[in-house]
Amino acid sequence: MNPFTYSRVVDPNEAVTGIAAKPQGKFLGGGTNLIDLMKMGVETPDALIDINRLPLAQIEELPDNKGVRVGAMVRNSDLAEHALIRSRYPVLSEALLSGASPQLRNMATVGGNLLQRTRCYYFYDPAFPACNKRNPGSSCGAIDGYNRIHAILGQSEQCIATHPSDMCVALAALDAIVRVRGPKGEREIPFADFHRLPGNTPQRDTNLEHDELIEYVDLPAIPFASRSHYLKVRDRASYAFALVSVAAALDFDSSKKIKAARIALGGVAHKPWRANAAEKKLIGQPADEKTFRAAGEAELAAAKGYKHNSFKIELAKRAIVRALTTLGGMA
Amino acid sequence: MNTPTVGKPLTRVDGRLKVTGAATYAAEFQRPQLAYGTLIQSAIANGHVVKLDTSAAKSAPGVVAILTRENTPGFKPYPDDLTKKGAPGENRMPLQDDEVHYAGQHLGVVVAETFEQATYAASLVRVTYQAQSPIIDLPDQRAANTATTPEKFIGREDLQVKRGDADGALAGAAHKIDATYSTPVENHNPIETYSTTAEWEAADRLLVHECTRGIKQLQRILAACFGLPVEHIRIICPFIGGAFGSKGFQWSQTLLAAAAARLLQRPVKLTFSRSQMFDSAGQRAQTEQHFTVGADKNGKLVALRHATTTHSSPISEYTEPCGNMSRMLYSCPNVDVTHRLVKLNLTSPCPMRAPGECPGVFALECAMDEIAHETGIDPVEFRLRNYADRDEHQNRPWSMKNLRECYERGADKFGWSKRNQKPASMRGRDGSQIGFGMATAIYPAAQQKAGATATLNQDGTVVVRSATHEIGTGTYTAMSQFAADTLGLPVEKIRFELGDSAFPVAPNNGGSWLTASVGPAVIGACGELKKKVLDQFGHWPNERELSSLSAPIRSEFTSEPNKEERGKFSFFSYGAIFVEVHVDIFGQTRVKRATGVYDVGRMINPKLARSQIMGGLLFAISTALFEATIPDQATGRVVNSNLAEYHVAVHADAPPEFDIDFIDKPDPHMPDLGARGIGEIGITGAPAAVANAIFHATGKRVRNLPITPDKLI
Repeated sequence: MNPFTYSRVVDPNEAVTGIAAKPQGKFLGGGTNLIDLMKMGVETPDALIDINRLPLAQIEELPDNKGVRVGAMVRNSDLAEHALIRSRYPVLSEALLSGASPQLRNMATVGGNLLQRTRCYYFYDPAFPACNKRNPGSSCGAIDGYNRIHAILGQSEQCIATHPSDMCVALAALDAIVRVRGPKGEREIPFADFHRLPGNTPQRDTNLEHDELIEYVDLPAIPFASRSHYLKVRDRASYAFALVSVAAALDFDSSKKIKAARIALGGVAHKPWRANAAEKKLIGQPADEKTFRAAGEAELAAAKGYKHNSFKIELAKRAIVRALTTLGGMA
Repeated sequence: MNTPTVGKPLTRVDGRLKVTGAATYAAEFQRPQLAYGTLIQSAIANGHVVKLDTSAAKSAPGVVAILTRENTPGFKPYPDDLTKKGAPGENRMPLQDDEVHYAGQHLGVVVAETFEQATYAASLVRVTYQAQSPIIDLPDQRAANTATTPEKFIGREDLQVKRGDADGALAGAAHKIDATYSTPVENHNPIETYSTTAEWEAADRLLVHECTRGIKQLQRILAACFGLPVEHIRIICPFIGGAFGSKGFQWSQTLLAAAAARLLQRPVKLTFSRSQMFDSAGQRAQTEQHFTVGADKNGKLVALRHATTTHSSPISEYTEPCGNMSRMLYSCPNVDVTHRLVKLNLTSPCPMRAPGECPGVFALECAMDEIAHETGIDPVEFRLRNYADRDEHQNRPWSMKNLRECYERGADKFGWSKRNQKPASMRGRDGSQIGFGMATAIYPAAQQKAGATATLNQDGTVVVRSATHEIGTGTYTAMSQFAADTLGLPVEKIRFELGDSAFPVAPNNGGSWLTASVGPAVIGACGELKKKVLDQFGHWPNERELSSLSAPIRSEFTSEPNKEERGKFSFFSYGAIFVEVHVDIFGQTRVKRATGVYDVGRMINPKLARSQIMGGLLFAISTALFEATIPDQATGRVVNSNLAEYHVAVHADAPPEFDIDFIDKPDPHMPDLGARGIGEIGITGAPAAVANAIFHATGKRVRNLPITPDKLI
């Protein structure tokens, strides 16, 4: 770990001013990912600005039934267990509880989780010479290396890393809005625009600017999200990142045909992958296995596997079918 | 007289110390003027160092010394018996040349006032290499060029064994299978990482606090390498936070910490990070095991060939002895066991819990399942038909063998008769495929020389000492039980002390032999003490008599295996393990039930014994389903050198209940106790039981561990 300065802020404006003055600085939330990356020498900030005392730890209903606002400093465990989340957005609660371990969830924050970095082996260990995300222009160690946990959708020749968060997969399905504060004031970033695909700039995970602070995540009101589900496939029963995961919500019309669908996939791409093609396939269809399989096929049509991860393509299709079947059964 | 405690489920005598954090582990010892070391390690796996630039590191805050090849003393070589004839130690002395044999190899030590300063400074060291492409895989042709057929495992066991004519018998066999099983590199991953604190008490006297399960061996190594008398070296290690085969052999960190401490004239502590446990602490070697098995039409084995290829590093000749149990677990007239060793640019392997038996019995017990399936005979029945009534390899009777009862009781408790023999025939309500699988567990029952002292103090307590180890298995408790029972005192009156090289000799903790080795020494020393006390007083002294003692009464005893008895019989522990697995449409396997019945001789402490077997079974589930150390093909670096990506079983992976039972009959040919050791048998056989259950559930035979979802969908 490199030497760095440490300071603590209690006001969001102070945080923004502070970070703007430190181009190599970082905000410190729960620290469950950042400190780990600093120990590995992957992140080498010269300043840590501790934002744990910012007044951003509330979960509250938005006025006019517009949904729920979640403060960036809310701990993962608190969010998962909150009555509003459990009743209105079970997919989010399930996603959170499927991630990490109780100890990590007690520390990890919502804002930090949005900025969680990939578990790509070649990124995580600086002794690997090749990683475009860590060291732009050094090539990708994973494409011809060990790529069992890597992306099958939306990847580029520059980077095939995946986004590791479970929570973000649920937020992608729920069309969450990320509210941030910068030197010029506040702005809203729709969830689909928050994380980036790697393209030619894999070093940038998100569209958040360096001098911006995540303040809130807004969950819009989606009545049918009370019937939503998170399915996670993994190598061991707990404390493992998703091989593939599915966040899904379904709405049905009076004839039990699918009226609306929200599906996002985890473990398959550089960002939480909103399954637009699958959703489109479902609308107006009966909720049966044939429909679900067709949706899975449609979403994975563009998938490309590598030496060790091609199994994810079939795995993702099966996960979509199973998640939707579970929701269909709840109809 | 107190009631005997042997056979009673005593709670650990050191349990309170451990759960309250009062037990002191190696990294927790503080010394005055302590400096902290961090390793400089090779980023490449094959080649040599051209330049090691420490200029930036030297001027980093807090740095007090940097040990590199240039200022490292010329160590004398390790003792031959630890590095030759298949012994697990590296035969290269650290920091004496510029060659690199595997990624993570130690190139130096940065020492600073704090650990953080040391690690930061180490990150500033710039190394220039002349790199060659590393050899990483067993099938690599360049590896084949290094192949040898070693004769011995740690100088003891024959690795090339032939009985009868396997080829001839296979030609005429009614049923045959021909299958290759493979197991990956695995790492021990105890909770406690390595830690050494070296301190020169005088120019020729070295004190070392290290988590080692070879106290006397480490003392001998340091004496040899620094050219000092053995008694000038002292090793202290009261607790070890798990080992599983690690922490028992020489790796360079002890020499480097001692050399740095000498250079600095200050105590130096060197503690490994988790990732260093993957490249600096040994690991289980990869194996590829080719089985050819033949049976007659009645399901009687006629031939068994077990050909293992495994690897070592370029600077070690340790060979994972996969075929040893294949020589004699079943009755078979024609047996051919071979081992072939190739050199790879991977960290030097060493034993890991049940070395050889874990991967070897996995393959053997899968092969038995396959040939049983081929012949259409139930797997339990098949094993009974091929039951070995004597050791056909050594041509001796068993010391005692109740394996038949293990099979029968285990099958009964598990409900094996409910198994539909047809694969992929059983389904759960949730649609998952259900499979029942079983396997035999076996592990040798060894005994080593050990000594102990026993001292009666004026306060009525008895202190018993031996230079043995507590790796978490319950040494403090079991030895206290032996002492208490021998003396007729309550356990509370006994203080058993271990972990100090100044105490009487004890063997390395390994081979599941601790209890059978140190137990007789403790019983002997306490027996002598009792005799001395009774000679003096005519009875056990009361408080008044004790307080009037002019000096404590002391006795000493050394026990050695009875060579004649050991030569007459074959000594093994056995077990039968049955598991139920559920495999879902994603290829996720969950072990839902496990029943194991074990024949391990006398039970010393059923509570600790059950814990040992439970830990072994969980380890086995982990071996079957999760564990694999993955080296990157291009660089030779381990890609998953952390506990997030190297998966070991977690609580959620354990079945709701382990049904563990013991035959609990003392072995008449084991000394004093009739106990045969219990540390490793739990991990043998059980990985095969899981694999066999997966075959039964799905009809898919996965022969390469671990059995992850991608291999099943």
